[in-house]
Amino acid sequence: MKRRKLLLKDLDQDIRDHIDRETQDNIDRGMSPEEAHYAATRKFGNVTRVKEDTREVWTFVWLEQLFDDIRFGLRMLRKNPGFTAVAVLTLALGIGANTAMFSVMQGAVFAPLPYVNPDRLVMVWENNPRFPRTWVSYPNLQDWQRSARSFQQMVAFREEGVDFAGPGTPEHLNRKEISSGFFSTLDTKLTLGREFSPEEDRYGGAPVAIISTRLWRNRFDGSPEVLGRSLTLEGVDYTVVGVTAFGVTAFGFRLQDDADVYTPLGQIDPLILNDRAAHDGIYALARLAPGVTLAQAQAEISTIQNGLDHLYPDANRDLGIYVEPLKQFVVGDAGKMLLLLLGAVGFVLLIACANVANLLFARSAARAREYAVRVALGANRTRLVRQLLTESVLLSLLGAGLGLLLAIWGVKLVPAAVSENLPRSENIAVNGPVLLFTLCTSIAVGILFGLAPALKSWNSHPQASLKEGGRGSTAAHHRTQSILVIVQMALTLVLLVGAGLLFRTLRHLSDVNPGFDAQHIMTFKVGVSRSLTKTVPATRTAYQQLIERIRQIPGVQGADFTGSVPLNGGWIMPFWIGSQRPASLQGAPRLVMFLTGPDYLRTMGIPLLRGRFFSSEDTTNSPCVMVIDSVLADMYFPGSDPLGQTLSAGFSPVGPCRIIGMVGHVKQWALSDSSTDIRSQVYFPLYQDPDQWVLLNYPNMTIVVRTPLDVASVMPAIKDAVYGAGSDQAVYDVHSMREIVLDSMSSQRFPMILLGTFAGLALLLASVGIYGVISYSVAQRTHEMGIRIALGAEKRIIFRLVLGQGLRLVLAGLAIGAVAALILTRLLSSFSHLLYGVGTNDPLTFFAVALALTGVAVLACYIPARRATRVDPIVALRYE
Amino acid sequence: MSTKEHIDRIELLQGTLDLLILRTLLLGPAHGHAIAKAIEFNSDDVLQVEQGSLYPALHRLIKRKWISVEAGTSENNRRAKFYRLTAKGRKQLTLETSKWDKLAGAIARILRPRRQEGRP
Repeated sequence: MKRRKLLLKDLDQDIRDHIDRETQDNIDRGMSPEEAHYAATRKFGNVTRVKEDTREVWTFVWLEQLFDDIRFGLRMLRKNPGFTAVAVLTLALGIGANTAMFSVMQGAVFAPLPYVNPDRLVMVWENNPRFPRTWVSYPNLQDWQRSARSFQQMVAFREEGVDFAGPGTPEHLNRKEISSGFFSTLDTKLTLGREFSPEEDRYGGAPVAIISTRLWRNRFDGSPEVLGRSLTLEGVDYTVVGVTAFGVTAFGFRLQDDADVYTPLGQIDPLILNDRAAHDGIYALARLAPGVTLAQAQAEISTIQNGLDHLYPDANRDLGIYVEPLKQFVVGDAGKMLLLLLGAVGFVLLIACANVANLLFARSAARAREYAVRVALGANRTRLVRQLLTESVLLSLLGAGLGLLLAIWGVKLVPAAVSENLPRSENIAVNGPVLLFTLCTSIAVGILFGLAPALKSWNSHPQASLKEGGRGSTAAHHRTQSILVIVQMALTLVLLVGAGLLFRTLRHLSDVNPGFDAQHIMTFKVGVSRSLTKTVPATRTAYQQLIERIRQIPGVQGADFTGSVPLNGGWIMPFWIGSQRPASLQGAPRLVMFLTGPDYLRTMGIPLLRGRFFSSEDTTNSPCVMVIDSVLADMYFPGSDPLGQTLSAGFSPVGPCRIIGMVGHVKQWALSDSSTDIRSQVYFPLYQDPDQWVLLNYPNMTIVVRTPLDVASVMPAIKDAVYGAGSDQAVYDVHSMREIVLDSMSSQRFPMILLGTFAGLALLLASVGIYGVISYSVAQRTHEMGIRIALGAEKRIIFRLVLGQGLRLVLAGLAIGAVAALILTRLLSSFSHLLYGVGTNDPLTFFAVALALTGVAVLACYIPARRATRVDPIVALRYE
Repeated sequence: MSTKEHIDRIELLQGTLDLLILRTLLLGPAHGHAIAKAIEFNSDDVLQVEQGSLYPALHRLIKRKWISVEAGTSENNRRAKFYRLTAKGRKQLTLETSKWDKLAGAIARILRPRRQEGRP
């Protein structure tokens, strides 16, 4: 560095010496001293330039120039506050929306799960030709644990809520029943204590529990002496042996849904654990052994499963196996949907860019003279383009700054609006990776919208610009601007069509008859006290008394139990008609089973089509009866009378039972339930539930109540009735049926809200865009308009002229947009169950949306068109 | 920078001036003016270099450590800077020269393909 300073310091002297020598040479050749010096100087060239170039060799010139450019750029932006404000605001909307969307994507999809080496964690599923994933059979899982070498560790867990009686007020808790080794598989540490030992993880083992930090703080005051204390779950005292860190087994699902208490899986009813044919809520979680790939693990365990299928052909028929990364299971379809939405919001940014590019075009026309002067004075064209790009990147960075604020605000709204459908929504925040994304996006965007105007200035001829007296070359500008407007219109149309299709879907869905009357129904669950449910007969009595109490409440028009609430999924089981049991239950057709009380049908307002529904006389002491729905009747009794026929159902089958009635079909999976779902339904009387299932089935019952009162006003009376039967009974999962119906549409509503917002933004930006371009063109053509009016053109004609110009752009955009939309909306139909009742090329949507877009655009052109008709020819002509 | 004025002048290709300087210094250390003179003389005045452009080139070569600089006195006892080829510069010269030969040969083949085919 020192050498460089020395060399540069001497440079002046070196140059002087050089010229002196050349002068001397020239004098020696016989020139006059004056002539000689002149010739030498000319031969040397531009001294200042040489010095600059030499200095450039040693310095980071580009950096110095960048600072210069930034200074100059900021000055230019300050000088045009109106232009700057509009451009920055436009970009802030575009970049802000993108940042918010990316934050969602980053938090929900990209961020790694909060475990050590999370990409080695996998879920292991069984599957069959009907379902890509089923819960696993515990005996099968034990065989995998014994034989498979691809896994460092494999454990099982089950999510089964539990009624908590104390210490403190009764509450229903989320519980996970877990294998020993569960936490070491996740490789996560407990806050306190230890996890379950293999001895505890078997039937009859010591009742031990691990609790969450939340429960520890709320019920044990966060005291370190919690280990060894006991808590009561469903009448059993469990000893606390550990405390988990907050949200640690949520797997990145919603943290508030994480378990509050853990008990050993091996202690649950052997009826579930020992039956190889049972697939009852058990998940398998595993950690791949070091160096083993997913494919290798899949191959090994498939081989093992094939062996098991041969060994136990009845229980395992058609069973395959599927190893899935835990992350993929957690994120599910959300990743694909978010990617689609990220694409959509990218359109908004493109539209914003087009707007700013148009503004820059208009301004570069105004600045053409400045460029021309600079070029004429010897400015390097590359330098000029760089200067302009610096300005546009500055603009986009300013926009990004403001956009970040918008995004921080927007990101707070997103989870509140859509958390039902978004995994890991509490993870969503404007953080490091998001900031990086925003920075990169804004720089890229700045170059994108700055490049075209900058290159235009590259090609401009200084002479022409100077001669035109600062009006700039207009024709070429117009073409580019028109193209940008057309692109904007096209992009907006695509977004509008997408939002429109989803909107129509939601409309169709709310028109769907769910098969029951959703008005005035509320549902909840009750944790009936263990002291009342020690034996099967006592349990039956306790539940019957509970429902009687609830029926007594004033305002309650009907109430009863059901095993599953409509639109919330249900129990799928194999069935057969008649007395001939099929060779394999796995191969038998499936139905959805409702275990309900006799008043369920009336309470829910489900129509009875034939025969009768069951009554309180249908009990374990009377012949077994069932009621089928119209779908099952149509599919399995075409043209014959189902009443009086017999049907058996279940993996541990009940029946054959006599079919005594037929009721209307109820939407059980979603309002849009399709032919690929299991739609056949059977109702089975709760009071005929076999004794061995009572203790398992009854606690899962949901109570439905029909009452014209709202939830808040009837709930206290219900709680009183429940507490009256046992003070340790929790009332939980309280919902109104309308809420459940609305929730069932959330997978459509989430993209609709976001796509709708994006489409709205796009529409706003695009109409500002077309307004700007038409206004600019009117301003440019003031002179022409003045002449036309002076020559006697009617205002109507002028008006039509301007409006026609706008309309041509709109129509071109619509045509291109419609084609693009036809292609792009197919993406929507690649999501199963997303669209309902509309095709992706729904003509009504296309037409309505195109009409709306045209209307808004015409409105945007109306203002400049009016202005054109008001041009005063005298003023316009003098204007020159 | 409109194009007209450039048309008659043979501009040196980027890096060619560097090559010429290195070649000149192969004969021994020289000061700036001497280098300029030597290039002009050896090219029979065909290469019209603005002498000033020598200086950024010299500094570039110093920065790359292809030449070194030392103070000395010139023929008429005036102080001057002498530039000297370094070992690294010598290697570079060999490399650049062979590159140049290849390039020149290639261009010649493109410009005069017919002669190679033996036609008039």
